[in-house]
Amino acid sequence: MKILVTGAGGFLGVNVVERLLVHGHSDIRCFLRDKSKAGRIEALAAANPGSNVEICYGNLKSRADCERAVADAGIVIHLAAGLKGAPAELFVDSVVTARNLLEALGTRTEPPIAKTRVVLVSSFGVYGVAQLGRGAPMDEATPLENSPERRDPYSHSKLRQEQLVREYQQRLGFELVVLRPGVIYGPGGGAFSNRVGIQVGPIFVHMGGNNLLPLSYVVNCAEAIAVAATHKDAAGQAYNVHDDEMPTAAEYLRAYKKNVRKLRSVRLPYFATKFLAGRLEGYHRRSQGQLPAIITRYKAAAAWGGNTFSNAKLRGLGWRPLVSTQDGMMRTFEYLRGQSAGK
Amino acid sequence: MGLKVAIVGCGKIADAHVEEARKIAGVEVVAVCDQEPIMAEQLAVRYGIPRWYMDSGEMLAAESPNVVHITTPPQSHLALTRQAVAAGCHVFMEKPVALVHADVEALVAAVVDAKKKLTVNYWPNFEVQALELHRLYDAGELGSAVHIESYTGYDLAGEFGLALRRDPDHWVHRMPGKLFQNMMDHVLNKIVPFLDDDDPYIHAIAYKREGGTAELAPGEILDELRVMIKGRQTSAYATFCANARPVGQTLRVYGTKATAHVDFNARTLVLERKQSFPSALGRLRPPFQVAGDYLRQGLRNVGRFRRHRFHFFDGMRTLLSEFYECIENDTDPPIAYRDILRVSAIMERIFAEVYPEVLA
Repeated sequence: MKILVTGAGGFLGVNVVERLLVHGHSDIRCFLRDKSKAGRIEALAAANPGSNVEICYGNLKSRADCERAVADAGIVIHLAAGLKGAPAELFVDSVVTARNLLEALGTRTEPPIAKTRVVLVSSFGVYGVAQLGRGAPMDEATPLENSPERRDPYSHSKLRQEQLVREYQQRLGFELVVLRPGVIYGPGGGAFSNRVGIQVGPIFVHMGGNNLLPLSYVVNCAEAIAVAATHKDAAGQAYNVHDDEMPTAAEYLRAYKKNVRKLRSVRLPYFATKFLAGRLEGYHRRSQGQLPAIITRYKAAAAWGGNTFSNAKLRGLGWRPLVSTQDGMMRTFEYLRGQSAGK
Repeated sequence: MGLKVAIVGCGKIADAHVEEARKIAGVEVVAVCDQEPIMAEQLAVRYGIPRWYMDSGEMLAAESPNVVHITTPPQSHLALTRQAVAAGCHVFMEKPVALVHADVEALVAAVVDAKKKLTVNYWPNFEVQALELHRLYDAGELGSAVHIESYTGYDLAGEFGLALRRDPDHWVHRMPGKLFQNMMDHVLNKIVPFLDDDDPYIHAIAYKREGGTAELAPGEILDELRVMIKGRQTSAYATFCANARPVGQTLRVYGTKATAHVDFNARTLVLERKQSFPSALGRLRPPFQVAGDYLRQGLRNVGRFRRHRFHFFDGMRTLLSEFYECIENDTDPPIAYRDILRVSAIMERIFAEVYPEVLA
């Protein structure tokens, strides 16, 4: 069965293609927008001569490109999404593109839509955690966000993407599997999630404190996607994706400072974060947006509310992390050290 | 003031239109519209706007707005303007006004014929320091303009630039003047009010800087543009630069009495004056004069910050206020149609020089 991977040239996408090959899937269409990101896919294709690793260039904003992408694919792993930019850009890159892809699936005849599986890589950001109490457990049963406009534009766009895919699932009848990763990290990725803190000028403001950091090492996350993409029990299910061992934000920051570079940071306890967020929110309102409301009380509750997490449902599919958090962090820090030295 | 505003086109810049329009007392953004329903919906949800539409005709009929902000790509501006004025609306237009000069002429004519009002979002000209420059010029403090230098930088790795780099089919790449056409309004609209000629001499050169930011952009995108303009009494240099850092936006007006330097990022206006002290004393004084000017400007900016008038698009709020007032009072729009047409005509001549194959 042909598997389509959108966003295949990205940080996560390349690892997903690699894990699919390891799992014995030999017919993979890698959909890429940026030709400069084809190198690792080409290397994987060369290393797996018995497999059909096809590179398909295109843009999911184009209906014609979407039709080319989904042709003959029995499994569609949709990773491509907007990660940064203006809110409108995030909606184009995450929601409009998903709609185009699903529209193309809807007009395709082979394989039949009922025998097609869509695997959507969503985000922890879709959960309505701000409305839970401090320290509340968060799992797949946690309600989705019902005030997305109060969250950051990325979370808002990912929630709308997931809602839209569910609407299409109802309409078209394909099998849907949703994976919601926590903080994906690894060589090639960034250094810090907002869950650890935010760089403000020369100072790193550390709000995460002793909150658990739901890290998902990129290879482990890719493995979860590869497992769920073909597991028969995954149809119709959603899975949170994070590794077994979760450091606290403070432990992660400490390890970063020790292994990558010195960083001037100031720790802000949760009550102080909420207080400052409230002040900033009030100033933002009074000044009609003279300073952006980067942090509001609602956003603070969502990012630094000290939730606990469980990957039990994912483990029930047979997924196990391939790389320990200790190893994952060391590999990531080694990469970041190289990046830091190169600057 | 009691104006109903509707917005057609829900891309990135529409956020600024919603935010700035809403800051003006008595103005309500009643609806937004985009052919792409996801985009219309997201703008309405994020800003709590009551209704959104996919069809502009349907929106105009249902909402009867007083003013339509057109923030779509320029390919659609002429048709949307005709539709808006036919529905009895005034038009606030995002730049660039149209793809070709003939369409800008037709667009202005459509508004004039319908006895409606139009202005274009030349917002940097309505920043406090730009308005102060024009006040000084009109008061004769600079004398007459001899030469103008208008400089605008651009970051292809920035929020707006990234969208162009990531998408080879972006509408900006399909305009006759490509990237330059999306930015030259802001370079030229600062020059044109000082220019004493409707048909100046123009010479333009453009190139792609080796190893520059355009290397990462799709296709043969040129990222550096230099233009020389010569009117009867006033000359100008217009510069668009995508590789110099920091990304600047400046205007220098060389007058017969004094030279003014406006920095749109730092929000300062500094005058260089003729020195009355002789010899070495005359050379000692200017740095202190300029330092004093900067200190005063800095303190004024602090005052504006404290009064909540130091937003990125503050000039847009001022422009919108003036435009809405001209509608209420039936007076002339804040930007003369002649200037809008001159900017467009000069742009077309520049693009004919740097992309001759496109406009041939």
